[in-house]
Amino acid sequence: MKNVRIVMVGDVDAGKSTILGRLLVDLGLVTPAKLEELETSSSKRGVPIEYSFLLDAFQVERDQAITLDLTRIWVRTPDAEFVFVDAPGHRELIRNLLSGASEVDAAVMVVAADEGITLQTRRQALFLRWFGFANVLVAINKLDLAEDPRAAYNARAAEVTAFLDQLGMHPRAIVPVAARSGDGIVRPGPLTMWWTGPTLLDALGTLERAAVRTDGPLRFVVQDVYRRDGKRLIAGRVESGTLERGEFLTFWPLQTGARVLTIHQWPREVERAVAGSSVALELDARVFVDRGAVGSRATDAPELGHAAQTTVVWLGADPVRAGEALRMRLGTREIPVTLQKIEEAIDPDTLEPRETQELRSGDVGVVSLVARELIAADTHLAESSVGRFVLLRAGTIVAGGRIDAVVGHARGEGATNVVAMTSSVERRERTARNGHAGGVFWLTGLPSSGKSTVAMAVQRMLFERGRQVYVLDGDTLRTSLNVDLGFSDDDRSENVRRTAAVAGVFADAGFIVICALISPFAADRELARSAYPNAFHEIYVSCDLVTAEGRDVKGHYGRARRGELPHFTGVSSPYEVPQQPELLVDTASHRIEESASLLLEYIESHVRSR
Amino acid sequence: MPALDYLDELEARTIFILREAFSCVSPLAMLWSIGKDSTALLWMVRKAFLGEVPFPVVLLDTGMEFEEVYAFRDRLVAEWNLPVANEACPPESTVDQTLPPAARHAARKTAGLRALIAREGYRGIILGIRRDEQAIRAKERIFSPRNADGSWDPRSQPPELWEYYAYDVPDGAHVRIHPLLHWTELDIWRYTLREQIPYVPLYLAKAGKRFRSLGESNITFPIASNADSLEKIIAELEVTRDPERAGRAMDSESEDAFERLRTTGYM
Repeated sequence: MKNVRIVMVGDVDAGKSTILGRLLVDLGLVTPAKLEELETSSSKRGVPIEYSFLLDAFQVERDQAITLDLTRIWVRTPDAEFVFVDAPGHRELIRNLLSGASEVDAAVMVVAADEGITLQTRRQALFLRWFGFANVLVAINKLDLAEDPRAAYNARAAEVTAFLDQLGMHPRAIVPVAARSGDGIVRPGPLTMWWTGPTLLDALGTLERAAVRTDGPLRFVVQDVYRRDGKRLIAGRVESGTLERGEFLTFWPLQTGARVLTIHQWPREVERAVAGSSVALELDARVFVDRGAVGSRATDAPELGHAAQTTVVWLGADPVRAGEALRMRLGTREIPVTLQKIEEAIDPDTLEPRETQELRSGDVGVVSLVARELIAADTHLAESSVGRFVLLRAGTIVAGGRIDAVVGHARGEGATNVVAMTSSVERRERTARNGHAGGVFWLTGLPSSGKSTVAMAVQRMLFERGRQVYVLDGDTLRTSLNVDLGFSDDDRSENVRRTAAVAGVFADAGFIVICALISPFAADRELARSAYPNAFHEIYVSCDLVTAEGRDVKGHYGRARRGELPHFTGVSSPYEVPQQPELLVDTASHRIEESASLLLEYIESHVRSR
Repeated sequence: MPALDYLDELEARTIFILREAFSCVSPLAMLWSIGKDSTALLWMVRKAFLGEVPFPVVLLDTGMEFEEVYAFRDRLVAEWNLPVANEACPPESTVDQTLPPAARHAARKTAGLRALIAREGYRGIILGIRRDEQAIRAKERIFSPRNADGSWDPRSQPPELWEYYAYDVPDGAHVRIHPLLHWTELDIWRYTLREQIPYVPLYLAKAGKRFRSLGESNITFPIASNADSLEKIIAELEVTRDPERAGRAMDSESEDAFERLRTTGYM
């Protein structure tokens, strides 16, 4: 049996709740006791039997005969189960209509024969188009108020057709009804005897549930990473396409990749997961993946960029203007964005674009957004959650939007927030603005163990995630700050001290500082810790001497073996292995990508601001 | 590839919601009334978190549940290794005395929940309510913010677009999370049957009567029914016009009884 979800739209008095109440009664779904209760409530308020009371459960709704918030009504016919979402028509409650419309398969638009298409109806039709509704039914209601129901219907049907045509929308049917008397709802009545088309119920029967595409491009949205029995399980949902065990997944926007070892659907393991499935994946490599990542096949990826052209519906109580900093939720990621420009708003009266400086509650507009991080989004994949987003202001959802285009891999101007570097700014303020805390991540290890390579890879990844990050590399600093120092034990200590001091200043300024220094002596490293004791992390980049020497990136090992370098760590000078590093990164037995992922994950978990 | 069937789709959405709650709201607890809905939900919690239940599961205990309910609880806690906590509700004399009598019993649970949240500082409470149960619940959001006193303001609910939920609440306030909101009574029984989820035997008919909805023994009454198996319950529900909560005295004492209970924080 099919199950179809339908939203009711129309102006406040068009009779949406009455149509649903009538549908319930005429299908025999209301018990005699409930009907009696309805008569009592109605007569208590001095009105004839009011079918909408079946839906309007709040006292104030019954008293004022209006619907205040979304409600749902289940209607069972022999062939189908319908869930109707009844949304109020008030302008100030547009958020409820949008909330309702975002979860359904079709819409029924109710137009009162005596009123025709009102401004409110125009606005709601704009939302339907914005959501991309293909299935719309129209009911011309209140024919009981017309002198000539047939003429009234024909006039309104022509008006509705012309209006929806302008929006590029084509209703599946336009049916005449009189909800109060029930004509045309479940069966024809005296007012609709002339009508040869379907009743509302017949027309509803032609609607289908919107199916998700199992053959579309693969999208797997990551919600979380769980650890079970020493395994890392990537929890999330397949939103489009079909995921097969054994295939290679690329995670965006960081572009890390690994093969899917197992697909868990507790208590089972499965061979594949189709669109809509909630699963947990075990990967064959320990690459960095966290909440917000989008998995796809490498060849069929979402678009990447730092800015997006979007169409939004603004819901915030206060208007929005260009330049406002907001947060965007795209899939399961939350990203700081700046509204760079309002390109235009759609005028609900004329349906024409108009220039504007601000969007008010209920306005539909085209706006460009600039992100502080690289975003991965879909522009033409309806079932992908990274094709639609919400905007938040102070933690509250203030807009819904659709991504029309992803632009520019380069960073946009609008995202730059300039922070005055004075002592009048507290550390917690910097953390709040950056969205992360500062810290020193001190990479120690033998020459050619991979410290700088890992540091640079992680710096890139952190930068793409919008983090404030800088690498202090030992060799590089020896060409500037530490140019006066040699390789005696004392000079090595001073080298560490100066580097640690600079790192501490950067960290205090809110930066994630990655230091890549051999720093062979444990005592020096402890000294370095004291430069920024509240967030210093010793990270041992471990690599056996044979492997490191085999790499010998700079040819130093060769020279040391020939006796040309008198104080070369590992050959002619000792290296004190860290006894209790905060993290160990083993580059001898792992690929650089895996080592970088491990470090990235460690850093992210230690600079998180909440 | 065939698409997901209807029950799979409902289940996958519930798991998505549970995982969102666990990732974004902390600390978190779940209320388990031990009825069919929250037990099916508990089964899906185990699915979402690969066999574990990563937050406390709380019974708001008025001491008035049916004996069979307590026995079922003890059995499942052992079988599923549940991190269960019993929260004793304050006596009836402490609740709003202007409520009708059965609603006063129910309000004890509201008071118990309020005390629990205040003591443990929970920012999220997971509940197994459904929209088709009751007209007021039909207006709920999946993530429903509550004020510091636990009250619900249904007239200013946040937008809930697609599957973007309101996670953030001010300190002291909390969010109610309703992962079963989109299920119906029939869906729950069909799913319980398919997944072989245990349930309290009081739902099955004995001597022509069965419980369709389980509440405290003093304010819940059985309905006339011969459905003594899940298959028969499903067949019965496919044709019935009677509301699910017909046996729950608190719902129908006065026109606004349930609305009053809910706006002050009832489940």
